[in-house]
Amino acid sequence: MSGQQINPDDALYVDMFIAKNSQTMTFIRSSYSAILGIAAGTLGLTNWSGFIFYFTGSAFLSFLIFAIKAKARPSLYFRQPLDVFTEGVLGGLLSYILFWTLLYGIIHVYD
Amino acid sequence: MGAWTVLQERQAMLLDPAIRDWVLLPIMLVMVLVGVVRHQVTVLLNGPPRKADLKSARETKGLQRGSILRAHGNHLPEYAFEARKAYLTEAFEKGTYLKDPKAGNKPKGNVMQDPAYVETMMDGMKKNMMNIVPQTVIMGWINFFFSGFVLIKLPFPLTIRFKSMLQRGIETQDMDVSWVSSLSWYFLNLFGLQSVFTLILGSGHAADAMRDMQAMSTMGMGPAAGPQMSPTGQPQDMHKIFLSEKENIELTEHEWGLNNVETRLLVKYGKLPRSILVDQKKAKAAATSVSGPSTSSLSSSSPAAVAAAAAAAGGKKKGRRQA
Repeated sequence: MSGQQINPDDALYVDMFIAKNSQTMTFIRSSYSAILGIAAGTLGLTNWSGFIFYFTGSAFLSFLIFAIKAKARPSLYFRQPLDVFTEGVLGGLLSYILFWTLLYGIIHVYD
Repeated sequence: MGAWTVLQERQAMLLDPAIRDWVLLPIMLVMVLVGVVRHQVTVLLNGPPRKADLKSARETKGLQRGSILRAHGNHLPEYAFEARKAYLTEAFEKGTYLKDPKAGNKPKGNVMQDPAYVETMMDGMKKNMMNIVPQTVIMGWINFFFSGFVLIKLPFPLTIRFKSMLQRGIETQDMDVSWVSSLSWYFLNLFGLQSVFTLILGSGHAADAMRDMQAMSTMGMGPAAGPQMSPTGQPQDMHKIFLSEKENIELTEHEWGLNNVETRLLVKYGKLPRSILVDQKKAKAAATSVSGPSTSSLSSSSPAAVAAAAAAAGGKKKGRRQA
C-alpha cells in the first residue's frame, strides 16, 4: 500500500517512557561493563577467558534486568522484548576492554 | 598452545613504572577531562534552543496531525474520523498550513541567500569544529610526545595484521602484537570512554567519539542541520511532503476499535471460546479474498466483515499480551 504502514500496536507504547527505559538500560550496562572490566583485569584473565567472562556476566545481568527491572514481562517496557538481552551488550564490550586492559596492565604488567 | 606459552615467557617484558605514572594514566585523565570540557562548551555554544517561529511550527504540527490521525484513527468513531480525514486532506491539498501558501510551485531562489538556511549551516559547522578540534589536538599531543612508547599489553592476542596499526612508531620486528603503542591506547580510550561519559554526563552528552568519526567523513553538513533539510542539505519542498501525507491519509482505512467489543470482552474473561474469534478471522479472510481489491466498499457495506476484522485485530493484541 502506501509503504508507510503503521503498526497498530505502536499505539500501546508511549515514546517518552520507551526512551526512558532504554536510557536506564544503557546506564546499567555502562556501569556494569566498566565494573566487569575492572574485575577481569584484577583477576588477570587473558585471551578467551576474558571474553567468556564478559559474555557470561552480561547474560547474568540480562537475566537480572529481566527478572527484577522488567518483572519477567519485558514486552511491557520495550517494543521488542528481546531488547532486554541484546541492547548495549556490544557497546559495553568496548569499555569492558578498556578497563580490562587498564587494570591488567597496572596490576600484572607493571609490577 | 605450548609454543604460545614459550612465546609469552620469552616476551615477559618489564615496563618502567614511570611510564605508567606519566604516560598511561595522564592520557586517560586528559581524555576524560577533555570530554567533559567539550560537553560543557557545546552546551554553552548552543545556548537555549532556538524557538521556531509561529508559521513553521504550524507547518510541522499540521503534518504531525496527519500522522497522528493515521496512527490512532481507530480510536475515533467513524463519523469523526471521516470528518478529520476530509478536513485534513483538503487543507493539505490547498496548502493551508504552508509557511508561505502563495509560493506554491514557484522555484526556489538561491538557498544561500536565505538567512535561516545560512544560520543552520553555520550552526552545523560550529558543532563539527567543536568535535574535530579537540581530538586532533590530543592526537597531535600524543604523537608529538609519546610516539614510540610501548605503553601496555593487551590481555588478548591479536593477529599479525594489526601490528602495523597498533605498533606504529615502534620498529621492533619480533615483539608480540599485544604490546601496543601510545596511539593505540588513545584509540582504546576514545571508544571505551563513551560509557564513562554516559555515566558522568548523562545520556545526551556531546562528547561522542562516534559522532566525530561521522563528522570527519561528512565534513560540512552534519546531522545538526535540522529537520527541514533533506540529507543532501537542500531545504525540502514542504508542499510535496504535504501532498504525500495527504495521499497516505486517503489510503488509511477506518476500522473502529470498539467494533465487536462485547465478543472480545467475553472471550478475554473466558465466557466464550476463543475459537469464535478465529472463526471470524477466517470468515473475514474468505470475504476479502472473494471480493478482491474493493475492500473499502466492503467495509461500509457488510458490517459482519468489519466486525470480523476488528475481532481479528483484537485477537492479535490479546495474544501479544498473554505471550
